[in-house]
Amino acid sequence: MKKALLAILFALPLYAEDGAAILARVDAARNPINSFAVDVSLTAVSPKSTESSKFRVYGKGSDRSVVEFVAPATEKGKYLLMLRDAMWIYMPSASRPIRISPLQRLMGQASNGDVARTNFSTDYHPTAVESESGEWVLDLAAKDPSIAYARVRLWVDKKSSEVTRADFYVVSGKLIKRAHYAEHGQRVEIEDLLKPGNRTVMQYANLAPHDNPDKMYTKDALGKW
Amino acid sequence: MTSKHVIAVTGVNKTYPLGRIRVRALSDVDLTIGRGELIALAGPSGSGKTTLLNLIGCIDKPDDGRIVVDDVDVTRVPLHRLSTLRRDTLGFIFQTFNLIPVLTAYENVEYPLLLQNLPRRERETRVRHWLREVGLEQQAKQRPDQLSGGQRQRVAIARAMVTEPKLVLADEPTANLDSETAARILDLLGEINARTRCTFVFSTHDPSLIARAERVVRIRDGRIEHDTTSAALEVA
Amino acid sequence: MIIKLALRNILRNRRRSAITLTVIVFGAVGLILFGGYKARTFYGLRESTINGRIGHMQIFKAGYAKSQSQKPLDRALDDAAAIRKEIERDPRVKMTAAQITLMGLISNGEKSETFIATAVEPPKERAMSSQRITAGKELPDNEADAVMIGKGLAESMHVKPGDYLTLMTTTTAGSLNAMDVRVAGIFMTGVKEYDERAVKMPIAGAQQLLQTTKIEKLLVFLKNTDDTAAAHQLIASRVKGIEIKEWSELAPFYHQVVALYNGIFGFLGIVVFAIVVFSVANTILMSVFERTREIGTLMAMGTTRGRLRAMFMAEGVGIGIIGGLLGLTIGVLLAMLINRGNVMLPPPPGYTVGYRLQIMMQPPVLITAFLVSFVTATISSILPALKASRLKIVDALGHI
Repeated sequence: MKKALLAILFALPLYAEDGAAILARVDAARNPINSFAVDVSLTAVSPKSTESSKFRVYGKGSDRSVVEFVAPATEKGKYLLMLRDAMWIYMPSASRPIRISPLQRLMGQASNGDVARTNFSTDYHPTAVESESGEWVLDLAAKDPSIAYARVRLWVDKKSSEVTRADFYVVSGKLIKRAHYAEHGQRVEIEDLLKPGNRTVMQYANLAPHDNPDKMYTKDALGKW
Repeated sequence: MTSKHVIAVTGVNKTYPLGRIRVRALSDVDLTIGRGELIALAGPSGSGKTTLLNLIGCIDKPDDGRIVVDDVDVTRVPLHRLSTLRRDTLGFIFQTFNLIPVLTAYENVEYPLLLQNLPRRERETRVRHWLREVGLEQQAKQRPDQLSGGQRQRVAIARAMVTEPKLVLADEPTANLDSETAARILDLLGEINARTRCTFVFSTHDPSLIARAERVVRIRDGRIEHDTTSAALEVA
Repeated sequence: MIIKLALRNILRNRRRSAITLTVIVFGAVGLILFGGYKARTFYGLRESTINGRIGHMQIFKAGYAKSQSQKPLDRALDDAAAIRKEIERDPRVKMTAAQITLMGLISNGEKSETFIATAVEPPKERAMSSQRITAGKELPDNEADAVMIGKGLAESMHVKPGDYLTLMTTTTAGSLNAMDVRVAGIFMTGVKEYDERAVKMPIAGAQQLLQTTKIEKLLVFLKNTDDTAAAHQLIASRVKGIEIKEWSELAPFYHQVVALYNGIFGFLGIVVFAIVVFSVANTILMSVFERTREIGTLMAMGTTRGRLRAMFMAEGVGIGIIGGLLGLTIGVLLAMLINRGNVMLPPPPGYTVGYRLQIMMQPPVLITAFLVSFVTATISSILPALKASRLKIVDALGHI
């Protein structure tokens, strides 16, 4: 009896420490390759319509990516540069890339971009861990006030360390987005909780290493490279 | 030294346009007028007498020839530059009186003195004198429309004399007056001429005026037909 | 003598002079009434713009105007309370009001629109004569999450007072934030494009949304607009690290209206001027024509051309002075009558009721009206005077 009690007492702190360890394993499972390219099929579902588009994403590290618009035909030729603090769009009709303001990032698919590339271990630290039938539930707080979502709740499969679900909260505590992860992270479904009935499905395919030089990730290189 | 002629007209020609044609008003006219003379320029209408009067009065220009007024050759001087000469040397009396309707009799007579910038006291003296001479002291404050024709012409005479001119020009001065008034005006003019040394030149077709003149110059078709002076000389 | 003659000649033909005077008087009265109406309009627009919207001055953190940051409140006033205290020491200051402007998305659950919000202090906002409320009430003093929205926005979000919406924006740090808000009231400015985006919210709510304690600007209201320059100087000397903008820099619409009205009235003025010139010139020309023989007589007697010109111009000047004075008197009397009366003008955009026609009488307007009459009449007499002086004596004498 005493031994069991002691075991429980000792186990409790272990859970808290595990938060950071769990996160580390989660990120390892998510982004095995540093410099990569991947095809993305995106389907935006709303009560009125369903729209599909295709992209090719060239990522380097966890916080740099260039998104090439592939389909539909109207969007082809556009490029998006996503850096840690800024986002730029390049359109063939314009002579120079346009910076997307934080406000514009609230709208449309750019907001999902923020969700999709969230780096849990770099940007957040765990504040609580719970257990829920085969999954860890982590409460994460943003390390920096400039990070898009102030708080995230993460559901991690205990066996695979894959994230199955994430709830994204803003500073006021309001729940804005919910992401469901499947197929080992190859499929992400994001619900817009401010607009019930609206969700976006992103399907990843052909993830492979790709040599992306550093200079590709500058606004001047966007579209020209 | 002033010459004994107040007017000397030599070889003067004048034409003026009438519609599309040019009318010859004066042809080769010579005339001298002595100081103090009382002369009638006689002739039918269209004879050129008014034109000659205008040329002597420096209100018109000859085409050629020479005109000397009070020793000043006025032939080539532009008319508007002769205003001082007219102001100081000449006096005008018109057939239609030509008084300024908004001024009283006194003010009408005073006007030429204002042009000469005479001080007020002197103006008053002279105006009153001449109003008395023409017998219109009582009417000093009346406007022309309150005066009879004869009275108006008397104001005109006073106005012409007030600057003490060397020469007074009168174009048909009695034509607009009845015979009795005309006679009285003529008496007045004769009196003034006798008392002052002012030369009087009339243009007229009125026989009674012609009779009163010491010298008659008959003009016909722009030429001097007859000049009593020369006639008198001839007779003599 | 010239004056005496001029006056008597003006009186010579009473009827014609009366008609000419009437034209001049019309011109002067027109200038006084329109000029006074214009002045009143400018005054009214200026005061309502200042007291209802922008204040006499706005105080910002130094560097605000030049800053090009994408982040909200990059250059913000952090010690607002102390600054306000300093400013309010000046007895010429009526009150100060803190404001923040921000943009974001507003959503009703089905769709989102962009909004532009002005965050205000509700009691100060009430003290400013404000927009027309078409439904609900003004912002309550103590509810940080109550908002007022523009009519167009309310329609597009399908909400009425009491309903809830969500505001979304980025914080000053760059993080996302969202807040549920209750629609307290709906307002209308009359400018459609503005009403489709406009939100008014309490400063406390905006600061919560932006995660800040700072404010963007301080509006300063004076008791008298004429004190603006002096008060500006005093504030600049007492408070450091700030930028001050006067109302004139912040009221482009007012300046546009001023320019437009001035353009219109300038054009009208030219038309009036032309009419008066032609009318007076015509009158004097007719009188020259009628007095041709008289002119010949005057010239024969030795009147110089210059003097003759002066005589006729004196008539023009005389009519101008009489007409000017008469016009001034009648104009002022009419203006006073109108001001006492109850002539109503139609309501401007965004208002339901019209306003009383008022004529403002300012010395510059009155002096201008007199001078224009005077100058116009004088100018009109130049040509006729020239014509008179150029008459040929013989022809003039021979005239009827």
